[in-house]
Amino acid sequence: MTLAVPPQIPQGSAQLDWLWWIPLLPLAASAVCGILHFLTLRQREAAHPRRKVDHRHGHDGHGDHGHGEHDEHAHEAHHDAHADHGHAKVSAGIGALASVVAVLAMAAALALSIKGFLELKGLDAGARVLRSTSWDWIDAGSFSIDIAMHLDPLSSVMTLVVTGIGSLIFLYASGYMKGDAGYAKFFAYLSLFAFSMLMLVLSSSMLGLFVGWEGVGLCSYLLIGFWYEKSFAAEAGQKAFVMNRIGDACFLIGTFLLVRVFGSLDMAAITAGVPGALVNGLATPELFAAGLLLFGGACGKSAQIPLFTWLPDAMAGPTPVSALIHAATMVTAGVYLVVRLNPLFAASPQLLAIIGVIAALTAFIAGSTALVQRDIKKVLAYSTVSQLGFMFLGLASGAWAAAVFHLVTHAFFKALLFLGAGSVIHGMHEEQDMHKMGGLKKYMPATFVTFVCGAAALSGLPLMSGFFSKDEILAHTFAHGGLYTALWIVGIVTAAMTAYYTWRMVALTFFGEERFDKNKVHPHESPAVMTLPLMVLAVLSVVGGLLGLPIVFHAPHLLAEWLEPVTRSGTKILFDAQGKHELSHALEWALLGAGALVALVFAHRGFHIHKQGVAFDQGFEKRWPRTAAFLGDAWTIDTKYTRWITQPIKLIAFVIAVVVDQFAIDGLVNGVGALAKSSGQAWRRQADGSIATYGLWMGAFTALIAFLFLFADILRP
Amino acid sequence: MSVPSEHMLILASILFAVGAAGFFLRRNVIVVLMCIELMLNAANLSFLAASRMHSLKQGALGPALEGPIFAIFVIVIAAVEAAVGLALVIALYRNRQTVNLEEVSDLKD
Amino acid sequence: MANALFYLMALVSVACALGVVLAKNPIQCVLSLLGCFFALATIYLLAGFQFLAAVQILVYAGAIMVLFLFVIMLLNLGAPGALDKTDAKMFSRPNAFLVVVIAGLLLVMGALAVKKSGVVVAAKEMPEHGIDTVNGLAGEMFGRYLLPFEAVSLLLLATAVAVVVLAKRERGNSRRRKMGGEL
Repeated sequence: MTLAVPPQIPQGSAQLDWLWWIPLLPLAASAVCGILHFLTLRQREAAHPRRKVDHRHGHDGHGDHGHGEHDEHAHEAHHDAHADHGHAKVSAGIGALASVVAVLAMAAALALSIKGFLELKGLDAGARVLRSTSWDWIDAGSFSIDIAMHLDPLSSVMTLVVTGIGSLIFLYASGYMKGDAGYAKFFAYLSLFAFSMLMLVLSSSMLGLFVGWEGVGLCSYLLIGFWYEKSFAAEAGQKAFVMNRIGDACFLIGTFLLVRVFGSLDMAAITAGVPGALVNGLATPELFAAGLLLFGGACGKSAQIPLFTWLPDAMAGPTPVSALIHAATMVTAGVYLVVRLNPLFAASPQLLAIIGVIAALTAFIAGSTALVQRDIKKVLAYSTVSQLGFMFLGLASGAWAAAVFHLVTHAFFKALLFLGAGSVIHGMHEEQDMHKMGGLKKYMPATFVTFVCGAAALSGLPLMSGFFSKDEILAHTFAHGGLYTALWIVGIVTAAMTAYYTWRMVALTFFGEERFDKNKVHPHESPAVMTLPLMVLAVLSVVGGLLGLPIVFHAPHLLAEWLEPVTRSGTKILFDAQGKHELSHALEWALLGAGALVALVFAHRGFHIHKQGVAFDQGFEKRWPRTAAFLGDAWTIDTKYTRWITQPIKLIAFVIAVVVDQFAIDGLVNGVGALAKSSGQAWRRQADGSIATYGLWMGAFTALIAFLFLFADILRP
Repeated sequence: MSVPSEHMLILASILFAVGAAGFFLRRNVIVVLMCIELMLNAANLSFLAASRMHSLKQGALGPALEGPIFAIFVIVIAAVEAAVGLALVIALYRNRQTVNLEEVSDLKD
Repeated sequence: MANALFYLMALVSVACALGVVLAKNPIQCVLSLLGCFFALATIYLLAGFQFLAAVQILVYAGAIMVLFLFVIMLLNLGAPGALDKTDAKMFSRPNAFLVVVIAGLLLVMGALAVKKSGVVVAAKEMPEHGIDTVNGLAGEMFGRYLLPFEAVSLLLLATAVAVVVLAKRERGNSRRRKMGGEL
């Protein structure tokens, strides 16, 4: 069912080519870093040419290497499976410039994002769109796609988050990745990721978004498997990519449906056209299907059930990658998509219910898994999945702005926590098991303080940024009523678990007895280039709540007001269909209080129980081993995937590769060749030099020709 | 003689078939050349048979002399060919001491 | 009676043709072929082609066959035991069956072709001096077919030269060989 009149693609209020520099600066930085990488390789090759003999013993002077390892090894085995990066510390040579280039590019992009934000602010609320059209990409009859940059309130928020937190993380990474053999390559990939993410959020059409969507998936794969010599990392990268791909397939089909209904892929056109495509204020089955499929794509990207098991495995990548991609930016692409197309989703209440259930379930399962993890990064990974579930829960309740608010605050504190964890790991010489840490607060004060700020925000302690964003989502969910009350209960339980595991993490890491061998491990604070971003993020985590103060504080919700032009359409559809869900002030205070109470109580419990050490964890494992295993393995979902999906597919692939490809297809192709060859051999024997044979063949065919001449008309039908 | 000319044609095809068989089968070069002569004679016979057919038919305007003329030319060419062929046989015998076609298989792969 | 003679001569010619193919000694082959030619000449005569019959005997039987005989004698291939070394087996490798099949097919095709072309009724009487009168032939040969006639005579000249060149003894080559001795 297509619309009678395709909606018009809106023109921007100004032609702004400088918008293009926002994604293009990181792209240029990526190219430069790539070149620097190759130059580094050549530099190394020139300094220490490869020799075939004896890799184990030293060659001539390696004075400029920190630990005396060899270049040849630098690319090879990183033995420690837990290690964040390998032992070999290698000088970056000319590649050291890469971080400078990358950070400067991101900082410039940030500056441009701020400029865009200010320009938008200067416009009237109704007309806050900046659009820069560059060229027509596809122009096929009635169907055309422009390549255009579209800056509206939502995209400006996203660009600020991506470039802002990106710059901080790039800065951090310049210190963290020092000594890694692929230093310049890392920044090339990171910058490429930044480009893709910015394309994703700034594109005006679904196709441009999809280009960015795929690009971040690719960069995620490259960066997760950055230390590809560790087979675990390579497999994790592959897993992430394949799961993303499944989501991408859903995304594409959803896009096709949208084209079918709206005749255009321009997102502004689609959102403008949705109200006209509704029947009785509700979505048609086609729109429902499109929304469902797009949500499927979002599940892949944002790690919701059933496509979430790649994110914990993705912790095999370097910590800055985890911070940037799997906390702040890529995983939020799904949320961005839903908010961008909010009228489409608002029109299908059943779809929103489905999203809500999946989101709540995801949050709960992931939260429960984080309770028993020993690896500090895994705790944070499952926590991310859980918080993403919260964001989608907010979207399901129609609280678009609340979800974006949580996205922003989560970006602050989760990036902070990841970077802090990286600082800890860096200081503990690549140890990630919390059971081998403890009492680090006196060794790493700056890390400790900032980490605590992040933990406070994550657990939702009162007046922290996380508190406001999480409670707003929960309030909207509660106000929705019906099924959503059950979802609210799940949400509150998950918030409790969040507080518990967060402070468990803090306790095990920074407090209690030191469970490491002081002779072997010397924990130390990280350099300023790493602690500075931590401090900035800590400040943001604490004060970020000011962006979205609840109504009962008698303060404006800045973010909701800012995003109102974008969310207006979806909200209206919801109101028309279901009426406004209002909470009385008293109820809202009660919910705020309940949230604060739950957070405080469980944070205290989590901290206290684990302050002494690992005794509780060990006791838990001993008394309830099966429960511990079940929880620890993310409810064995991933194991089931491996057994029921991956293995059969591998078997089918093997069958096809060996049986079909080798026997049938190769057999056929080679058989044709063999047939030609053997028939050639057979005919070759006829050329025996005997004139009689030649004469016989000539005679035979001459007779045939004579026959044809004489009797051709008999043969003719 | 009132033998129909068709019978002469059939005789010609018999002689041709025999000559062809001998041409393919025999190993002695000279015998092969003789079989070629046989085939040429068969062709001659068929020319003459056709000529007779057209000379004696209803409404013939005169003798069809194309037949005999062609037959004369065929005889001349046959003579030429036999002469040259036998000269080659002599040259061959001089170099290879053989007239066996099977032993002269230099074209063999 | 003429008819009977025709069929007899036809039989003789076929028998002699088979004799050419099946005889072992080349001399026998030559003689068979001669017989065949004589039979054919008779047939030509019966059919009303006297001149051709005469030409056939003069040229074919009298010149070409004599040439064959000369060469066989020259190479001494008719001597007893001469072919034992050079021609141990009479028939060459091509599958005899295949050859017979092809020959048979040729025969059948010929017969079918004859049948297909339809019967031309012989209505007129044989002319008095036969079909190929010398006058008529001469008129045609030096009239309409003058060009082929001249060409063929050129060909004969060329052949004479070619034969001399081909059969010429190379200098210093065969003086040491005895013709007809070592085979």
